[in-house]
Amino acid sequence: MTDDATPEEQLPRLITAAVAGGADVVQLRRKQTAAADLTELARACRDAAHAGGALFIVDDHVELARAIQADGVHLGQADLDPETARARLGPELLIGLSTHSRSDVTRASKKPVDYLAAGPVNATPTKPGRPAVGFDHVRTAASWASVPVVAIGGLGRGSAGQAVAAGADMVGVVRAICTADDPAGAARELREEIQAAPRWVELELNGEPRRCPPGSSMVDLLARLEVGVAGVVVEINGGILRPDELARVEVVTGDQVEVVHLVGGGKSHD
Amino acid sequence: MTDDALRLGEVRLQSRLIHGTGKFPSPEVLAAAIAASGAVMITVAVRRLHLDGDERSELTGLDLSAFTVLPNTAGATTAKEAVRLARLARAAGLAEFIKIEVVGDAETLLPDPIATLEATRELVSDGFTVLPYASDDVGLALRLAEAGAAAVMPGAAPIGSTLGVLNPHNMRAIIERCPVPVIVDAGLGSPADAVRVMEWGAAGVLVNTGIARAGDPVAMAAAFARGVQVGRAAFLAGLAGDRREAGFGASSPLAGMPGAGARASV
Repeated sequence: MTDDATPEEQLPRLITAAVAGGADVVQLRRKQTAAADLTELARACRDAAHAGGALFIVDDHVELARAIQADGVHLGQADLDPETARARLGPELLIGLSTHSRSDVTRASKKPVDYLAAGPVNATPTKPGRPAVGFDHVRTAASWASVPVVAIGGLGRGSAGQAVAAGADMVGVVRAICTADDPAGAARELREEIQAAPRWVELELNGEPRRCPPGSSMVDLLARLEVGVAGVVVEINGGILRPDELARVEVVTGDQVEVVHLVGGGKSHD
Repeated sequence: MTDDALRLGEVRLQSRLIHGTGKFPSPEVLAAAIAASGAVMITVAVRRLHLDGDERSELTGLDLSAFTVLPNTAGATTAKEAVRLARLARAAGLAEFIKIEVVGDAETLLPDPIATLEATRELVSDGFTVLPYASDDVGLALRLAEAGAAAVMPGAAPIGSTLGVLNPHNMRAIIERCPVPVIVDAGLGSPADAVRVMEWGAAGVLVNTGIARAGDPVAMAAAFARGVQVGRAAFLAGLAGDRREAGFGASSPLAGMPGAGARASV
């Protein structure tokens, strides 16, 4: 994610280096430049990202993202609503949304978003005045979101791996690459740290993608979602768990989990 | 009064009205209707737990342990799905009862007779007490009984239609011919429908929409209960006009069927 400090003419080269080092997604983030003045810069940045095989996302500016055929747009809680953005962008472009609280995450589950950002993990000059939400919010977002979660906010060497261990699928950084003497090397080191970190288990729960920390039982998984096991039946990969197995059997990545209960009804069109 | 309980598997039901639990205006109305009906067996469905937000279940406030619960496989469109739902229901800690519902046609919700028979066979061998919901077809009812169904549940009319008994001849023939209890399910719209099938000797009825969508579901539940009792009493008393000596004769001679042996000429 770009900063405001790097001079415009240096940005494409910075992006080329970051992508060469292993960045998968580039977000153009220039809070102090009007959208109308960003078009040429955005094109150059997009080309640099695409040349290295990375996705290119524009922060805030939906019309700009569409005009330059970016891969997506990132929205803050105070920006355009994702539904409106989706209507303007069509079905193909990615829409990301910043979240700072559990309610931001659960509201986002009903919106047309493709990934969530969770942060700021640490206080950061990029977001002056916004309180840090710590890794707790990364865990919350990872527990409740059915789309990928990007941890963000003052992250770099040492904390990038912690973010993954807290459930993040991806880690977003600004300063850790933009202010590095060797952006490619910084990106490479971050990528290695992220890949080495213990990832959360990814499974399908009642048809939706969900995550939970490694070693979780069904009791643990449901407790994260504030659901008790009383009265529920759990089926994993087609096999029904006995009650004593709910706290004992660990879920693993790729599991297909169904949690059912009895409801009123006797009619096939329920 | 002497005991006239309905025996199903291991249980004896003191009420022959089985109460549905769907489509009621509120959990409170549902609970009051069940109480007014005197039903001791209720049907429930198996569904995914909603994991986002606390959607209120219709069964809130209902003590399931006070009833014989008859889970159904509503939503299944294949025998395999029905078997899966049955096993999930059993794991919920209920008795071994299962009402098989396999929809054969999404538009009318009428059952798939072949898949119903397949699911019946499989679940009987799996130890369930199986009550298949079926088309009002005599031959099918006999096959389901032969497959080990504890009772057969022919539909009077399509689910939710409240049209009453659309084919009285078939329904009556099923009741008379079927060696296991016949519980008339689906489509009963008024207590008069319940009286009618109970008079014919149905072992019980299952009512959901007829009660749930009535002007006053609680009062209608009580009315259906009385209809079931009246019809049962009439059946036990023996209807005066019930001696249909004419019967139904085959329109083609049965004698002389190739390979039929001597029995065909009886």
